[in-house]
Amino acid sequence: MRERLSFYVKRESFLHHLNPLTKLTLAFGLVFAAFLSPWYWTPSFFVLFAIIPLSFIGKVQREYFGAALRLILPAAGFLFLMQSFFQPIGVKVIFKFWFLDITQESLMFAFTNASRIFVMVSSFTLFLLTTHPSELMSDLTRRGLPSQFAYVIISTIQIIPQMQAKAQTIIAAQRSRGLDTQGSFFNRIGALVPLVGPLVFGSLVEVEERAIAIEARGFTSTSIKTSLREIPDTRFDKMFRWFLILLVIAVIAARIWLS
Amino acid sequence: MAIVNLQNVTYKYPLTHTPVLSNINLEVKEGEFVAVIGPNGAGKSTLCYTLAGFVPHFFKGELEGKVEVAGVDLKSTPLNEWVRNVGLAFQNPFNQISGAKYTVFEEIAFGLENQGVPRDEMNRRVDQALTMTGIRDLADRSPYSLSGGQQQRVALTSILVMQPKILVLDEPTSQMDPIGTREVFGVIRQMAERGMTVIMAEHKVEWIAEFADRVVALKDGKILLQGVPADVLTSHLLAENGFGTSRYTSAAREALKFNLWPKHLHLPTTLQEAVDGFNLTSAPSPKERGE
Repeated sequence: MRERLSFYVKRESFLHHLNPLTKLTLAFGLVFAAFLSPWYWTPSFFVLFAIIPLSFIGKVQREYFGAALRLILPAAGFLFLMQSFFQPIGVKVIFKFWFLDITQESLMFAFTNASRIFVMVSSFTLFLLTTHPSELMSDLTRRGLPSQFAYVIISTIQIIPQMQAKAQTIIAAQRSRGLDTQGSFFNRIGALVPLVGPLVFGSLVEVEERAIAIEARGFTSTSIKTSLREIPDTRFDKMFRWFLILLVIAVIAARIWLS
Repeated sequence: MAIVNLQNVTYKYPLTHTPVLSNINLEVKEGEFVAVIGPNGAGKSTLCYTLAGFVPHFFKGELEGKVEVAGVDLKSTPLNEWVRNVGLAFQNPFNQISGAKYTVFEEIAFGLENQGVPRDEMNRRVDQALTMTGIRDLADRSPYSLSGGQQQRVALTSILVMQPKILVLDEPTSQMDPIGTREVFGVIRQMAERGMTVIMAEHKVEWIAEFADRVVALKDGKILLQGVPADVLTSHLLAENGFGTSRYTSAAREALKFNLWPKHLHLPTTLQEAVDGFNLTSAPSPKERGE
C-alpha cells in the first residue's frame, strides 16, 4: 500500500517552517492580487518574482516544475488558445485563420486569464507541496475551526485510497460470479449497480465502527483539545500575513482608482 | 469492592422485541481478568458495548437494570465522560484507526489530544505506551501501512495510553492470522500481568485458559455458567450448548474413553496441562524401561 497520501514533500526549508496559515494567506493573497489587479502583467510578474523563487526557497522546485510543465502549463496554454480565438472582442485584427480572427484585445485578454489560472494553480501546488495536511488542520483547529470539520477533511484524504482498494475487491468478487464489466458503454454503466450497493452499505457499517472507535478515544470530550505538534507562529508570520492583506487591499484600490 | 457491577441488565436494540441481554448479573473485581465466551449471537459484543457505554448512549434502545463502573452509574453519565474510565477495542483493527493521523505516534496521541493533555505529558505517555506494548519500531510508520496484527496493537496502545480503569476487548483477534493473534495476545498478557482489569470476549479458548481469572459463558443473552477457567472450559454444558472447547480438552475427553487420560486428573485446557497428563499415562515406568 502506498504510504504517501498527500502532495506533501518532507524537506527542511524556510517555506516548510512558515506557519500553515501564513502559507494559506500567501496562496490566497497571490491569487486575489493576480485576479483583481488592473494590469495585465501582474500575474506574469508573480510567476517570475514570487512563485518560481518560492519553489526554490521551499526546495520543491523539481516537484513544482514537474507539475507546472506537465499539468499547469498545458492547461493554461489551452485556455490561452481558446480564448484568443473565440473571444469576440477588439477590432485590431492581427491574425486571421479561416473564420477565426485574433485581435490584439482578445490576445491580451487570453494572456491575462491564462496567466491568472497559472498563478492560481501554481500557488496552491506550492502550498500543498510544503504544508502537511495534519499541520494545517491542527493549526486551523487551534484558531477555532471545528474539530469535526478538520476530521472530515483529513480522514477523507486518507480513506479514499482504501475505498478504491475495496471497490477493486468488490469488482473482482462480482466478476468471479459472472458479472460483465467490459464491453459497451451501457454494459459498463449497468455493471456499476452491483458495485455501488456493497460499497455504500459496507462503508456505512465502517462509518459506524469508526465513530465508535473515535468516540472511545474521547473525540467528543468537552475538554479543550491540545495538539501533539507544536506549530510555531512567529512575529514574522503575523507581519507577513498583514503585508499580504495590505497588498490585496492595495491592488483593489488601484483597480478602483484606474477604472 | 467490585469495579464493575451489572445488576439485572436487560437490553433491547431499537425496533426489536427480543432482548439481546436478559437479566445479566456480573461483578468484576479490580485487577480481575474476565473472559466472556459464547456462540455467535450470544450477546458478547452487546455486553462489551454496554460496559463501554455505547449501549445505550450510542445505539439507543432500551436498557433496564443497573450498570456501574468505578462507582459511576451509566445511565446518568454522558458517553464522553464514561469513556475516561472504560477503554474499548474491538474486532476490526482497520476501522479502529482514526484516519486523522499520519504516523503511529500521532495516532496514539489522538485520544490524549482530545482529552486536552499537555504536550510534554502527551509525548511522555505515548513513549511509555509504545515501549509497554513493544511497537516502538512502528512509531513513524503510517497506520495504514501496517499488518492487521500491528494495527490491532496500535489500537490497543491508543486505548491503553489513556489509562482507563477497565479495558473491554471484543474479540480483538478474530480477524488475525496466527502471527497477528500471537502478537495481540502478547500485549494482552502484559496487561494481565500488570494487574489491569480486563473484560474480553473471545472465541480462542486455548488463549483464555492461559490468562483469564474467570470465564463467563453467555448463551442467548443469559449467563449459562461462570467460574474459574479449569471448571468452565471443561464443563459438559459447554459442549452440549455449541460452545467451542479447547482442542486439549477435546483430545483428553476422547482419550478418557480409551483409558489414556488419568481418571483422577482434571481435563486439561492448556498445552502444558495436556502434556503433563498424557505423560502420566503414556510414559513407561522405570521397570518397563528395564531399570
